[in-house]
Amino acid sequence: MEIKIPIGPQHPALKEPISLRVTVDGEHIKDVDIRLGYNHRGLEKLAEQKNWVQNIYVMERICGICSHSHTTCYVQAVEQIQGLEVPKRGLYIRTLVAELERVHSHLLWLGVAGHETGFDTFFMYTWRDREIVMDILEIISGNRVHYAINSIGGVRRDISEEQKKLILGSLDTLIKRTEYYANIGTIEPTFVARLDGVGPLSKEQATSLCAVGPVLRASGVANDVRKDDPYAVYDELPFEVATATSGDVLGRVIVRVKELLESYKMIEYLLKNIPEGPISVRAPRKIKPGEAISRYEAPRGEDLHYVKSNGGDKPERLKVRAPTLANYPATVVMLKNMFIADIPIIFAAIDPCVCCAERTVQLIDTKRGDKVMRFSELRKMSIDFYKKMDLSKKGNLWKL
Amino acid sequence: MKEDLIIKQLTEKFGSGISETSNPSPRRMFATVNKEILNEVIKYLRDTFNFYHLSTITGVDKGDFELNYHFANELTCVTLRVTVPRAEPNINSICEVIPGAVLYEREIQDMYGIKVANIPDGRPLVTSDDWPEDNYPLRKDWTFERPKEVIPGEQNGD
Amino acid sequence: METLKDIIFILIYPGLFFLLSYSLFVEWVDRKVYARLQNRYGPLHTGFAGMLQPTADFIKLMFKEDIVPEKADKFMFSALPIFGLAIVATSSLFLPVWHYTAQTSFVSFSGDLIVAVYLLSLATLVLFLAGWHSTSPFATIGGVRVITMLFGYEIPFLLALLGPAILADSWRMMNIAAFYQQTPVLLLVNIIGFFVALISLQAKLERCPFDIPHAETEIVGGTFTEYSGRKLAFFKLMTSIEMVVGSGLIAVVFMGGFPGGFWIGMAHFVVKTTFIVILLAFIRALCSRIRVEQVVTFSWRYLTPIAILQILIVILVKAYIN
Repeated sequence: MEIKIPIGPQHPALKEPISLRVTVDGEHIKDVDIRLGYNHRGLEKLAEQKNWVQNIYVMERICGICSHSHTTCYVQAVEQIQGLEVPKRGLYIRTLVAELERVHSHLLWLGVAGHETGFDTFFMYTWRDREIVMDILEIISGNRVHYAINSIGGVRRDISEEQKKLILGSLDTLIKRTEYYANIGTIEPTFVARLDGVGPLSKEQATSLCAVGPVLRASGVANDVRKDDPYAVYDELPFEVATATSGDVLGRVIVRVKELLESYKMIEYLLKNIPEGPISVRAPRKIKPGEAISRYEAPRGEDLHYVKSNGGDKPERLKVRAPTLANYPATVVMLKNMFIADIPIIFAAIDPCVCCAERTVQLIDTKRGDKVMRFSELRKMSIDFYKKMDLSKKGNLWKL
Repeated sequence: MKEDLIIKQLTEKFGSGISETSNPSPRRMFATVNKEILNEVIKYLRDTFNFYHLSTITGVDKGDFELNYHFANELTCVTLRVTVPRAEPNINSICEVIPGAVLYEREIQDMYGIKVANIPDGRPLVTSDDWPEDNYPLRKDWTFERPKEVIPGEQNGD
Repeated sequence: METLKDIIFILIYPGLFFLLSYSLFVEWVDRKVYARLQNRYGPLHTGFAGMLQPTADFIKLMFKEDIVPEKADKFMFSALPIFGLAIVATSSLFLPVWHYTAQTSFVSFSGDLIVAVYLLSLATLVLFLAGWHSTSPFATIGGVRVITMLFGYEIPFLLALLGPAILADSWRMMNIAAFYQQTPVLLLVNIIGFFVALISLQAKLERCPFDIPHAETEIVGGTFTEYSGRKLAFFKLMTSIEMVVGSGLIAVVFMGGFPGGFWIGMAHFVVKTTFIVILLAFIRALCSRIRVEQVVTFSWRYLTPIAILQILIVILVKAYIN
């Protein structure tokens, strides 16, 4: 008996609206149809009405997880059209944030993979450690999600010696824990049973369907924009392209964990070798006429921006191709002849985007006058507050 | 340079079909291609230089439409430009050469109203099911008019 | 006097009242242990250390809107939650919770072990019917998964319970418990069967790694997709009670029952079942969900042969003793 089940636009397995219409026979998937467009916001049209600087922030809001990827990609294209030479230190900071973003995105993905296969403990652990990266990013840029660190011609914030030390300190914890997760992800029998051989994608299929990023690399193609088309300071960085040959979800997990470990090495190198000097150059309000293609290896794969300028203060055309879109045709192939139980994990294996939460850094006390607090103080205060509290007493909690 | 080699071989092979080649920066190459021979050029690039990966198709409204096919391999990135007249917006699908192009062609159909012939799956991709006919958002002469909101289940217009 | 005693037995202890409150307590233990293993706090605010949270959840669900889908079989859809709750509550009557010399449980007869196991299987069937009568695709798939899994774990569960019963030479729970209280050393013989029964019970309760029929990320709510409000609350309660009865059953058969009269017997019951619930929470935290066909393969390839091995060991030991 064949029945059609709708996965999405609202479904617990999906973090963003997309519709998979799956025809199943018992537990077997016979056919899949993907319907997009639930989240189409017309950003390309909007970009034509904003000026060059405003567009950085529009690009940042394409996606919550790879916000830095989109801005860097856009800013690179604009700099290329204008012929701006970004100072080395600026490029180093840009690359540092990019790699930290990759770490946070991949840790997030590991957690999602755990959650989709019902391994919630793994999910809780990886997301706990993701907080460390988020805190580092907050130290560097002042924000956890939309870092807003790029500007045309460089970056907006410098990093100090103390910050460097702090980041290197937290990095040790992260490396230790990631090795532990690599161990769990490849040894825990129930987890491996869910991943091994699931969502197969051969090398030929992956290349012909134009897959990108970890999906392509897990099929044995060592394709990485950072190596093939080096931007920022990637031509100076020592790193290896992580690949796997199995072409299944397990391979994609392995690729991502390997990339995490490579990223830690890169972050360490970047922090130890960052040159002195200015962090940005001034960019004019109007950009010369011209066009440029900028490619960027986002955590999810190749991100491409095509920017065309007609000499005004607004772009003539700005085309964004986010990596997830390129992986949809491959997803349909991966899903065929699998089980219903595999839908979430196969779909999650291409790492579709997810957005993050808001938070406060300021506390206003109306009785004692306005008071602005640093976040660290606020955090310390909250820890002390809860430590002092007698949890056994009824009604002691939620007292404000 | 790899780009020079590609330009040279392309012009040798296709002659007048290829015009306006340029190489503005390292690892970037542009070539304008006649609409009719697009599939052959792509096939030739794919088989000779390993350009299996189509990054995306960008449409630009310059009066007439210009489609940019961005290809990439391990060494360089080639962009083929095709001009599609506004009066007759038609182009052939490249899906038989590059199967992964289908989503980008569907997007072009939605956004510019360019009819892609022989496309394996021609349904709208990003526009909603109740999107009005002949509205192509990325054309420069298109302006946004908020449609009247209809709440499902209620009588229309109440 | 006897009638009054029976009524107290059914309504207060170890009947409905005790069963309800204890199952909610067990749910709290499960949630708390699971949360601590995941580096979380778990319930914290309602009652002492969040002990009343399951009760609060239950009461909240009772007040929620109760929706019956238009296409569902209205009678079956509404009757099944109550039916399921009744079945698991009935099966608890067979547990020898009182001291074992006089009246050990409300009904005690030769073969009550089989009846209890049968009633627990019936509860699974109720889940299948609930999924089937909801008529939504997710619920139907969930219902089919319930039945598919049943073929996997039911046999090893029964075989695992069979071993100790053979050794004790009785099908009566009270006699089995009494036998092991006299010679506690023999409990060690059944240690393999204990783990088989534990894993099968986990599957019976549909908890991770066997939470396939209502795998949230795959088929939304599975069997419970269309259920809401009171009916869902009954189903949740049914699962909790099933957990108490199932761990009680294992405690009777593998851990020597609950000797020592009213108070000590109750202490035995609480300690032993809580211990089993904590073990179940450990399994839940340490595994990822497996696929339905992997459950069947796993239970027929590993669990059933191990259970049979256990029975062989038991038979050899029995021959040696005699």
